[in-house]
Amino acid sequence: MRKAWFLLLFICGVACRLMPQTLQEELPRALNEGTLLGFGTSNVKDTYLSPFNYKGWGIRILNERMKIVRLGKSRFSRQQLINVDISSTKNPSERINDFGGFVDYSLGYHYRIPLSSQFMLMSGLSGHFLGGFIYNTQNGNNPLSAKIDVDLNLSAIAIYHTRIKELPLTFRYQIELPVAGVFFAPPYGKTYYEIFNVGHTSDVISFNSLHNKFAMKNYFTVDIPIKKVTIRAGYLNSLYYTDINLIESHLISNSFMIGWVKEFISLGGKRSRQSHKSRSAFYSNGF
Amino acid sequence: MRQPILYTCASFLCLLFLAGCEMQNEFTDSPRQNFEVLWKTLDEHYCFFEYKEVDWEAVYREYSQYVDESLNSYELYNILSDMLNELKDGHINLITPERVSRYDNWFLDYSLNFNEVLIADHYFQGNYNWGSTQMQSTFLREGQIGYIYYPTFTEGVLESELDQLLLSFADCEGLIIDVRNNAGGSLTHSDRLASRFVKEKTLTAYIQHKTGKGHTDFSNPYPIYLHPSEGVLWLRPVMVLTNRRAYSATNNFVSKLKVLPQVTTIGDWTGGGSGFPITSELPNGWSVRFPTSPILDINKQHTEFGIAPDIEVALDPAWEEEGRDALIEKAIEMILYPPPGF
Repeated sequence: MRKAWFLLLFICGVACRLMPQTLQEELPRALNEGTLLGFGTSNVKDTYLSPFNYKGWGIRILNERMKIVRLGKSRFSRQQLINVDISSTKNPSERINDFGGFVDYSLGYHYRIPLSSQFMLMSGLSGHFLGGFIYNTQNGNNPLSAKIDVDLNLSAIAIYHTRIKELPLTFRYQIELPVAGVFFAPPYGKTYYEIFNVGHTSDVISFNSLHNKFAMKNYFTVDIPIKKVTIRAGYLNSLYYTDINLIESHLISNSFMIGWVKEFISLGGKRSRQSHKSRSAFYSNGF
Repeated sequence: MRQPILYTCASFLCLLFLAGCEMQNEFTDSPRQNFEVLWKTLDEHYCFFEYKEVDWEAVYREYSQYVDESLNSYELYNILSDMLNELKDGHINLITPERVSRYDNWFLDYSLNFNEVLIADHYFQGNYNWGSTQMQSTFLREGQIGYIYYPTFTEGVLESELDQLLLSFADCEGLIIDVRNNAGGSLTHSDRLASRFVKEKTLTAYIQHKTGKGHTDFSNPYPIYLHPSEGVLWLRPVMVLTNRRAYSATNNFVSKLKVLPQVTTIGDWTGGGSGFPITSELPNGWSVRFPTSPILDINKQHTEFGIAPDIEVALDPAWEEEGRDALIEKAIEMILYPPPGF
């Protein structure tokens, strides 16, 4: 948990340390949208189901939208992330399966800090929802562990533009770190039968913060324009640990991502029709 | 300014990867580890140590001496299943790909009090009013009494089927529900039938759960209510026939019905099995099933060792020769000729 506090201080520190520069107000603001498919490893443990780590594979679909908003004289950008993640893992003896299915949604606002024409830092907050389940194929009356979390995240993004020969590349690193929220966390020994069939629903929602939950997403991408399309390739590391009511849980995944990016503007404005120029939340024309 | 920021970012990335590392508590698949994990799992979760006065530490000492790394899986299975049987619990199973351990003395030590052939030959006589693999029914005494045999709660009966069944008994004076040899199944299925016998929300039981790893760490009992079905209800006399093989969800069914004023239980004690079982596993992939949450009766008493009938009746061999089931005959008598004040 000390690591988590360090990350928190780092993100706050960067936001306070750096000052914004003058922004380009006059250009229309483009929406940058990326859709990526990911494949990778998954590591699951939930002591309500089993005391052991289950390991296997996972696939995910990630949709991301980012746009500069008028907030704070257009010094902020808005980011929406929708992530659907499914996994199949096996116990150490490879006799029992866990199937996982999760949906993530986060809506974040980032303060934009251009450091140069190539390098941009963003720091901000996001609201985050996670819902999903782990289903164990062996267990009788305790086959499923549900996860429902609503969090406030600290979020930071670094974007770097460069060229390799004539090829323009855009690198991005993003971190999301939940710092406080509420989640579904049944008391030790309380079965889902007692909660959902009998109706004994007290004490199943708990406050979470870094003392009982550590979660983090690390997201690296590179955008590569190839002819008329832009390919986005990347790596997503997702960590989720909880330790509450004597029940430990973790969901760890590492996914390699590949997809495409579109950037477009609304054609409603007169100026937009007159010019193809726009201001991107992601590429260097937005710095 | 750029360089310090880049260094900071690089350090930060290193930190992230460290954060992704975890101290794993993986277990090795050895006889000793399997024994330890099984013992500890029960130690932290099983709910009847105190009620059954089992010294689990002593059990550890007893069986630990038999465990060494030379055991093959067959020998290990025997030791572990013997250890589990110390808990005298029909809800505890050690499940391997080849075998399932079980404790059956909860019924083996007692009379069966049930003769399926006798019922088929002399009561059903091939006249099934309504039947499925889950339930059979017929009329007795020229249609004065409805008889239902419900052999398992593993599979459910549809609400619409229950409506149809109870409507067919509309002219009967009473109903006999025979749950002998019904070893349980799903509480949802047993509650579906039980909900036909209440006209209002009725307190029928309590449930507790472990609040910690200690053997006496339990929550306060939480009330369980039986809600009336929205379908056809039966509020006339009901006789429930029980024997020692009425276990688990069936024990729960009897416990709930026993509370109701129109219900009388006849026969032998039920088999018990009042803990709600969950499943866990061992490092070698074997599963273990065991109860963690005791379900108590309306007086907050355990029914783990069974429920006494209101009227104790045993099968009479002489009556069996004549084609009569003493429990069914008693139930018929109680419906048609109830004693004064009943």
